[in-house]
Amino acid sequence: MTTLVEHPVSVAGLYRYHDVIGLLSAGGTGFSGPVSVALGPDGLLHVASRANPNQPEAVRVTRCTIEGDYVGEFCGWGEAPGQFIWVTAIAFGPDGNLYLADENAHRISRFTPEGEFLGHWGEFGSGSGQMNRPSGMAFAPDGTVLIADSLNHRVQRFAMDGSPLVSWGEYGAGPGQFNMPWGVAVDSGGAVYISDWRNDRIQKFEADGRFVAEFDGKNGGDGFARPTGLAVGRGHIYVCDWWNDRVQVLDADGLVIDTLIGHSGTSRWARTFLDANPDIEEKLNKATQNIELKRRFYRPTAVTLSADGLVFVADSYRHRVQIYQQL
Amino acid sequence: MLVDSQRALMAHLLRRAGFGATPPELDTYCAWGYEETVEWLLHPKDQAALEEDIIERYYIDWKESRNIEGALTETVYRMNCNAGVRPLQEKIALFWHGVFATGLAKVLHEKTMLNQIDMFRGYGLGSFEELLRRLARDPAMIFWLDNNFNHQDAINENWGRELLELFSMGVGMDGQPNYTEDDVQEAARAFTGWTIDDDNVASIPYGKTPWLFRYDAEDHDAGTKTFLGETGNFDGDDIIEIICRQPSTARFISRHLYNFFVADDVQVPAWQNTPPPDPDAITALEAEYFRSGYDIRSMLRALFNSVFFKSEHARFARVKSPAEVVVGTLHLVGDFKFPRVGFMDTALECRYMNQDLLNPPSVEGWHTGKEWIDSGSMVERINFVADNLGDATHPGVRAIVTTLADRNPDAPGIVDGCLDLLGNVMLREDNRNALVVQAEAAMNEGAGVEEVVLNALRMIGSTREYQFA
Repeated sequence: MTTLVEHPVSVAGLYRYHDVIGLLSAGGTGFSGPVSVALGPDGLLHVASRANPNQPEAVRVTRCTIEGDYVGEFCGWGEAPGQFIWVTAIAFGPDGNLYLADENAHRISRFTPEGEFLGHWGEFGSGSGQMNRPSGMAFAPDGTVLIADSLNHRVQRFAMDGSPLVSWGEYGAGPGQFNMPWGVAVDSGGAVYISDWRNDRIQKFEADGRFVAEFDGKNGGDGFARPTGLAVGRGHIYVCDWWNDRVQVLDADGLVIDTLIGHSGTSRWARTFLDANPDIEEKLNKATQNIELKRRFYRPTAVTLSADGLVFVADSYRHRVQIYQQL
Repeated sequence: MLVDSQRALMAHLLRRAGFGATPPELDTYCAWGYEETVEWLLHPKDQAALEEDIIERYYIDWKESRNIEGALTETVYRMNCNAGVRPLQEKIALFWHGVFATGLAKVLHEKTMLNQIDMFRGYGLGSFEELLRRLARDPAMIFWLDNNFNHQDAINENWGRELLELFSMGVGMDGQPNYTEDDVQEAARAFTGWTIDDDNVASIPYGKTPWLFRYDAEDHDAGTKTFLGETGNFDGDDIIEIICRQPSTARFISRHLYNFFVADDVQVPAWQNTPPPDPDAITALEAEYFRSGYDIRSMLRALFNSVFFKSEHARFARVKSPAEVVVGTLHLVGDFKFPRVGFMDTALECRYMNQDLLNPPSVEGWHTGKEWIDSGSMVERINFVADNLGDATHPGVRAIVTTLADRNPDAPGIVDGCLDLLGNVMLREDNRNALVVQAEAAMNEGAGVEEVVLNALRMIGSTREYQFA
């Protein structure tokens, strides 16, 4: 738990553990079940906490620097405009605003980076523009946004104002079919990557929805188990291999080239807490069998990248964001 | 009212071995036949397991509940989802949770408590001796009854005492004590060194990790002990082996099974001096306990196939526990079979009706039978059932309305149809007639079938018979 982490590296040595931000908290410095992470145009990290039904006040978006300085948060548990309950994803649009998917209200809400509510779109249904539990979300280079419409087993593309443009997919396990898709990523050329959650695979599409390839993680690895969030950048595909508690790194052809398992040390926020509660730290250190366990990922749910090679992973059950540096 | 006796018996079986059955489920079970359904119930591992990925996908604290409400929600959700596929697995877990009552008020580690309930699901239908061995190693139980403070040089007799008094033999039977204070002390000595690795209960900074059993040989009293008249170098497993051979254990377990699955008995503390309500039934169960080598599945097979269980006198002879009211009603109306927001509030209804699952009032567990009922809990029970049975947005209720509407029924047809579709609820004749009068009056005033059906369902839910199993 409190063991110093001296720059451990990933399985294949392509990444080095860099830092951790986090602490279980219902507000302020900390997260509660973080499920999505996004870098704002101001360079601040935004982290969406899903929390649990007994902590509605903990459902929020936290803003902090990538060094772990707390800046602020916005929340509002509920179904009224500007509120959200089951947050699944956050992403910044080319307009500099934050878009948030809520799979309880089946809609996308738009906020300024500071949390001022600007509007929303979407409603429950299976028609064009309607959604049934939207999950992952990513903006394309042309400014449109791709959304995994999870229980409709499809991908929808919207204009930034929420106008539906195109959708593809249906329930199934064949090419172009989905079983509860979750994560979405778009590369610089506009190709779309979808984590096809219950089919345990990633599917790649042309920007117009034409199927290109599928990656099951067995090329160079032992396969995915319920892949969730994903990101694409610097020639690599990053897959949160949720039920395997790891992040798999693939090359552009789907070959698994590295694995991140989690190397968390003690965050600054955690250090402050433990310094104020030495009795708890003493008990944690006595439970030696748990020290290694608590450094590892536990249900990593989302991943995002910075331009300079930092990889931010929402380590959901451990209430933190682990950061790796590409070497 | 014409009663299909096979269907009525099947509904009785499912109320006891499960949480009731929907009309389509009863169709299936009746097609299988009674004895085949009993075998299906007794072998839950042959049935489909829950889709854990989907549940965890939406309830993201599913694996790591961090408060008692979250743990209670997990437990009730699992019961509801399994009510149609593994009903007896959930019912036996509920049974052992009542017998081996362990509580989060002290344990304060939700995942460790949930692991104990899972252990009951996995081993609750098997050998009683194996179950006790696992219970003695269960971290939640060790912490609950202070066995982590039971040391070679300073015994803590809490676990040893309750193992005998509340978990296996009982204080006494037929007016005689079953063990002495010396037996308690010697049992405690045998379990010294049975402890846990970590008693940390803090969620912060990064969540909890489950407690694990650990045997500390250096803290174990390896000396000679005399227990229930036998002398040897006993450890905890030896004590359990001796316990399981006792006629008092056969009596105690048989009486518990009868009280939970057949008919309400007096409360456990009175068992030493109060004979069982049906001595022949208890004798038969005791015989099966020994014949089968302490096998709970065999005892339940004998129980469910017995005349005393199938008897008309056993029908609606037990007050439903709050968990049975809540889960049985949810299963019937088909709500929360797929995750959505709001389940915690529903799960907490068990607490409001006096059964705070995972947090029993004491190691003695909950008093059952009529003690479930007080003025507050009665109002909660009736309101909960009426609210759910009267909500036509629930798929199970919608199906009842549609089925009856298709029959173009008169008032007696609506009432009898509702009673049938709610799982062959058998009302007293005067109560049934009162409902018919009510339905006739509503229809004469122009109420449609749906309105009359929903009102009938609400009122049936508030009857004595619906509140009994």
